[in-house]
Amino acid sequence: MGAQPPEIALDIRDLRKNFGGIRAVDGCSLAFPRGQISGLIGPNGSGKTTTFNLLTGVIAPDSGAIYYNGDNLAGLKPYQVFRKGITRTFQITRIYREMTVFENMLSASRLSVPERQGRARAEELMAFVNLTHLRDEYGGNLSYGQQKLLEFARALMPDPDVILLDEPAAGINRTLLADLLTHIHRLQGMGKTIVIIEHDMNVIMNHCAKIFVMDYGLKIAEGPAQEIQRNEQVITAYFGHR
Amino acid sequence: MTSREHLRYLAYLGAFLVFLAVLPFQIGVYYRSFVMFTMMWVVLALSWNIISGYTGYISFGHVVFYGVGSYASAILVADHGWPWIPTLLVGAVVGLAVAILIGYPVLRLKGPYFAIAMLGAAEGTRVLVTVWDSLTHGGLGINLPNVENSMETYFAMLALMVVTILVSYWVGHSRFGIRLNAIREDELAAEALGVNTTLYKMAAFSLSAVFPAIAGGIQANKTLYINPDGEFLLLITITMTLMTMFGGKGTVIGPIVGAILLYLFQEVVWVKFPFFHLIMFGAFLILVARFMPRGIVGLFIARGWARKGMVH
Amino acid sequence: MEQAEIRRVYLLGAFIVAAFATPFAVGAWSGNIFYDRQWLMDLITVCLNGLLQGGVYAMYGVGLTLIFGVMRIINVAHGEIVMLGAYLTWVLFNAPEYLGLGWHLDPLLTMVITLPIAFALGFAIQKVLLNAVVGGPELTPLLITFGVGIAMINLVEWIFTTDYHTIPYQPDAFHITETIFVGKNKIISFAMALAISLGVFLFLKLHRLGKAIRATAQNPEVAMVCGIDVQRIYLVTFGLGAALASAGGALVSIQFGFNPETGVQYTVVAFAIIVLGGRGHYLGAMLGAVLLAVLENLVSFMVPNGSAMVEMAAYTMIVGVLLIRPQGLLGVKET
Repeated sequence: MGAQPPEIALDIRDLRKNFGGIRAVDGCSLAFPRGQISGLIGPNGSGKTTTFNLLTGVIAPDSGAIYYNGDNLAGLKPYQVFRKGITRTFQITRIYREMTVFENMLSASRLSVPERQGRARAEELMAFVNLTHLRDEYGGNLSYGQQKLLEFARALMPDPDVILLDEPAAGINRTLLADLLTHIHRLQGMGKTIVIIEHDMNVIMNHCAKIFVMDYGLKIAEGPAQEIQRNEQVITAYFGHR
Repeated sequence: MTSREHLRYLAYLGAFLVFLAVLPFQIGVYYRSFVMFTMMWVVLALSWNIISGYTGYISFGHVVFYGVGSYASAILVADHGWPWIPTLLVGAVVGLAVAILIGYPVLRLKGPYFAIAMLGAAEGTRVLVTVWDSLTHGGLGINLPNVENSMETYFAMLALMVVTILVSYWVGHSRFGIRLNAIREDELAAEALGVNTTLYKMAAFSLSAVFPAIAGGIQANKTLYINPDGEFLLLITITMTLMTMFGGKGTVIGPIVGAILLYLFQEVVWVKFPFFHLIMFGAFLILVARFMPRGIVGLFIARGWARKGMVH
Repeated sequence: MEQAEIRRVYLLGAFIVAAFATPFAVGAWSGNIFYDRQWLMDLITVCLNGLLQGGVYAMYGVGLTLIFGVMRIINVAHGEIVMLGAYLTWVLFNAPEYLGLGWHLDPLLTMVITLPIAFALGFAIQKVLLNAVVGGPELTPLLITFGVGIAMINLVEWIFTTDYHTIPYQPDAFHITETIFVGKNKIISFAMALAISLGVFLFLKLHRLGKAIRATAQNPEVAMVCGIDVQRIYLVTFGLGAALASAGGALVSIQFGFNPETGVQYTVVAFAIIVLGGRGHYLGAMLGAVLLAVLENLVSFMVPNGSAMVEMAAYTMIVGVLLIRPQGLLGVKET
């Protein structure tokens, strides 16, 4: 790696969101580096998922800005964020249960891409996550791990530049997890920016180049794994005062 | 699906069409209008299916489009002396306008709230049509000039049905339809995965409104008398719902099969038991909703005779 | 409260004020308002009638909101159960006459019979058709109850035809002042509705089963863990909702004409009430009921073709409230 600091893909500045008096995200600033895997961690209720929801337009921020390729994403609708090349998965999978695996995939195809090409990409990605044999099965009939893979593959359909993964490791077995991590690294190899929310510290510490820690809606630390592991504030946030 | 498969389906449709085009010359007025009304129900069921089957927004008031279409046509023919065919286009425009007017607020509601708001919209429109007697002749209804037009209405309905089937086929085999399905399954996820849900819902709703409006117009010119209670009858919505659910919602062939079977059954068997048949209607809807949510098509899928999903 | 939330509350208030102003505006425009003492007295009478009618609305509205609160099911057949209650009352009212006894059963007394029947009916509907689909896709129960409603309408139509019926019961007026008077049947209905609503309220507050119902409404999983037989609670809840609806039917039957098809109106009214008041909220339902009933009476009083336009009040309320503040007047935002 060169001496230059990596370029920033997503630049969140002073983001705020209140839910009826609860400050879910409270003036948080995060800068996710381009082309790398970043981790976003923090205790339950620290505002990680809310940050994802704000990033993808699922909820609108009260104030603050999200810069991406020079545009401010704050206040855009989810589908507009999607069209900018940012996709996501959900903490609890939200695949379409009464649609087949193939239809799930095709639903996220960009309409600017001809249908034939969209279909080809869907086939390709199903092969990528080993779901081709379930192509014409209803999403709801898949196991939880398979649903996670499907959701992951679906998020890749539009060939996004930024992929936000909300707890990809939760509820799937070790073999599948290893597969998933391999896929994530391959994506990184293609130059994609990846942000992972995760409670599994093995995933975070071993696979993320940079880790951001949130607590009470604020960023309390950032840095590579070794630094975070030693950070007093992070330890306090997770374990309370000693 | 390969283009060969598309061609095969088109060939089926073509053969069906040839049959339906020759048929009216071989049968009398009674059976001609019987087939005409069967085709009308195919149109209505397919239309209901576009918004409720694909998008999952169950409309309990879809008769409203049929009603305004038939009124637009009847008013122009009876009061302004228009020839009836161009009035169908006016009916379509009126249907579209009403769809936008109703859809803009009501499509923001979800699940049961949309369903009941549509029920209200249809009933409300019926009341307005009854009250606005300077335009609609109120509760007295409208008499249309008496002409024998069973052949013309037959072909008008045939043309409409073909267009409806083709549009439904496109919806059912395109990314547009898949995205409507995505809205049905999980609107929030669909939005996050690039579907402008507001726009798509509006598009589906408008499409599903235009065909019933035209069908209503043709029907008015065939029956030659309309009144608010008849044109905005809740039972018409229920029938669309049941036909689509019975055949298989969210498919193209389902509503067609459902409409034909149910209409045949209704006319041949049930008509002999007027109230009992409507009680059975309710019971039937319960059974279909409870035990065969995917309809006849679902039974075929369960036996491996048909493939899951709409796009392959 | 959030800024946006406060704005919605104001907007909802403005909407309701506008809804109440509309009949006055239309009335003034179409010359149905007279600026004299007599008209003012009529207006007061109309509002009073609305208030009394609101009591009955509230009772069957509470039935719908109870079912929704516990099971998240909108019972589209609710109005049909009201209609059925009216018919049952009418049948019992006339039964002795048919038997040649020459007298009528008191329609309030018949509730002793009709309420248990309705309870059993609701219990059965829930047991056979709905218990298995609670918590599933919300459209399945919607379609099922829709089917139940259709079957009921046509069953009643088959037996009793579409003729309108009513029960003549205490129709003479009760004079509050020289010029302000209301029908005795309305006062009796209101008192009865109030008593039944209060009874249900106390049952929910104090009785063991009532508390279990409320616990289930709060959180079915937690209720289950606490040893509550949730499936049974569902049965009782639907039974109770149906009983309230049929009590509404009994009170409707002594005030208004009814036929098998009026059920749809009752459904829409009940739905409007719970939307207006806040889904699953009892006090809200009562408030919503009174507001809606008064508004309906104002419309029917001042708007030309008023009796037909009455239905529009409920539809406007449903759509307007759902768009401005989906949780209604008193409801809490659902997440």
